[in-house]
Amino acid sequence: MRLVRTELVDSREILPDQWLQSFLAPELATGARAGQFVHARTGDLSGLVLRRPFSINTADQATGVITIHFRTIGRGTEWFTHLRTGDAVDMLGPLGRPFEVDPRSRHLLLIAGGLGMAGVRSLADEAIRDGRQVTVLFGAASARDVYPSSLLPDEVEYVIATDDGSVGHHGFVTELVPDYEAWADQAFACGPAPMLAALARQAAGRRERLGVAKLGRKRGAGKPDALGSTAARRKAFLQVSMEQNMGCAVGACLGCVIMGTNGAPQRVCREGPVFAADEVAWESGW
Amino acid sequence: MKAKRRVTTSKDVRPGGIQRGPTPRRKQGSVAAVGAIAPTRTAQPTASRVDAIAAPDRPARTVEVDLSVDLGRGLVLPNPILVASGTFGYGIEYGDVVDVDRLGAICCKGTTLRPRIGNITPRVTETPGGMLNSIGLQNPGVDAVIEKYTHTWVGWKTPVIVNVAGESVADYVEVVRRLEGVPGVAGIELNISCPNVGRGGLQFAIDAAAAGEVTAAVRRVTDLPLLVKLSPNVADVRPIARAIADAGADALTAINTLSGIAVAPSRTKPLLGNIYGGLSGPSIKPVALRIVYEVSQIVDIPVVAIGGVTELADVLDFLAVGAVAVQVGTAIFADPTLPVRLVDELAETCRSRGLSTYADLIGTALPRKPGAPSSKGVEYRP
Repeated sequence: MRLVRTELVDSREILPDQWLQSFLAPELATGARAGQFVHARTGDLSGLVLRRPFSINTADQATGVITIHFRTIGRGTEWFTHLRTGDAVDMLGPLGRPFEVDPRSRHLLLIAGGLGMAGVRSLADEAIRDGRQVTVLFGAASARDVYPSSLLPDEVEYVIATDDGSVGHHGFVTELVPDYEAWADQAFACGPAPMLAALARQAAGRRERLGVAKLGRKRGAGKPDALGSTAARRKAFLQVSMEQNMGCAVGACLGCVIMGTNGAPQRVCREGPVFAADEVAWESGW
Repeated sequence: MKAKRRVTTSKDVRPGGIQRGPTPRRKQGSVAAVGAIAPTRTAQPTASRVDAIAAPDRPARTVEVDLSVDLGRGLVLPNPILVASGTFGYGIEYGDVVDVDRLGAICCKGTTLRPRIGNITPRVTETPGGMLNSIGLQNPGVDAVIEKYTHTWVGWKTPVIVNVAGESVADYVEVVRRLEGVPGVAGIELNISCPNVGRGGLQFAIDAAAAGEVTAAVRRVTDLPLLVKLSPNVADVRPIARAIADAGADALTAINTLSGIAVAPSRTKPLLGNIYGGLSGPSIKPVALRIVYEVSQIVDIPVVAIGGVTELADVLDFLAVGAVAVQVGTAIFADPTLPVRLVDELAETCRSRGLSTYADLIGTALPRKPGAPSSKGVEYRP
């Protein structure tokens, strides 16, 4: 975690009200892993007292540029859209725990709902760099909100679902998952909470349904990895990137919690934003 | 009683160059010599110090400013900039981003007897010029806090004040009893004013008798320095402050958050899971100023101000209305390096005004003590 002064190098409205901004931040680009986020400070001093968390959408170590992808939903995000090339933005990062890919996983399924693309986007880069095959399932309300395929690496298979059927599958993105369930070694998702909860339900019985050999120790029953540990996450089929209103983003204020299956609130900024699906108490109502 | 610490500040020496124009401001985040403890103090008459400012071509100049503050019972802080409970966790969360040894003190997250899971989410939201939070005192319980964090605190120069919350007098007493004598615990801040928990908390802060009772009960079981945090959610805070002071508190902290709510974007329900939240940030500063102004005039114990500090001007305002120290809270979220920078800036201000101690900045905006009653005719006294 570092406090870094970054510089805006590019800003584009890639979709209606959705922006893709690039910042020169070599310290963040080299240290960041897929799934982590930055906490950016607005320069608007007229009453905005909190930073804004953004998933690191891409991180290019060669150029030292990171990108963030966001929707304008309020005055803070609005402020970012008014930035000009060369403007400085104060960022705290990289924060949170990243996606954990099992070294043996060859086929990765990335599932994104709407702006959830920002959460899994950099994992596509990382996985392709590591020689894995990637399928991205993307869900949006309609064709006008579909993430442009030109912004994804050429190597990925990109499958779209829209709620109104204007492009791709007519229905929810979660309905596409069964087709890829057997193909995928691991799945990584980011999007609205109901979507993630549905995916967690789908993933729960996967092993029995498919008769998949258990990944992990070949012989004997070793001590199971502690819930929430990196090792346990690495073995989990489904990992999700969660969202919550955030205060400090370093674990001090306890504002951004979700309820864990262990009965304790889990900080999205510190234990997350990536969780194994079985760590989250989906029905807790939190 | 610990010896008072002297805090020395030395100006940057510009090798070979002549310093022109106004004094250069310290760069953001730079760790200057302010925190260093000087073994000796150069006695310099005020006049020559003023001359030194007027003569910018002097190569080097050392003016020491005493920023230490005594909150009573041997709790001497190296400087009057504290970090507020709930905004700085247990002091370790910000890692290398903040140099904790340069802070005046750390008030840790509210600690209760038993672990608490806190309130349902969402727990925080931004509001104009502030934020609402309803964490609901999530914490692992006093025993876990002692076990997990105090060994780290022992190694810090900065005192750690444990914020204690409870649902009953017995709860407060038991938590404090367990903290008594634990190395690394420099003091207690009684949170009798948390607006975000159903039972307990606030009820002690809105009634003078109850506030006095819990303070006295805790006082009986501990020799630790005892701060008590006032709530602004009362009609008149003065009787409560007086009761707490009379019950043996060493200092008062003013103020906790103001109770408020926000509405969800759907307009179908309140936004926060707990419905009610505590408002903090720059928007509550006038309220905090008013309460510090009122309280500091009627109690003899030190008042630590908190509420919307985001820059040095806010610190100076609170000092002017009688606070001896200031806590920084919500502003840390936007700028974690702010408290350390405020220490530098406060020293810088004292130096530029030729003050050897910041004590001269305290209480300057308070009304003068009433003298002998006027004998000129009849005066209306409400």
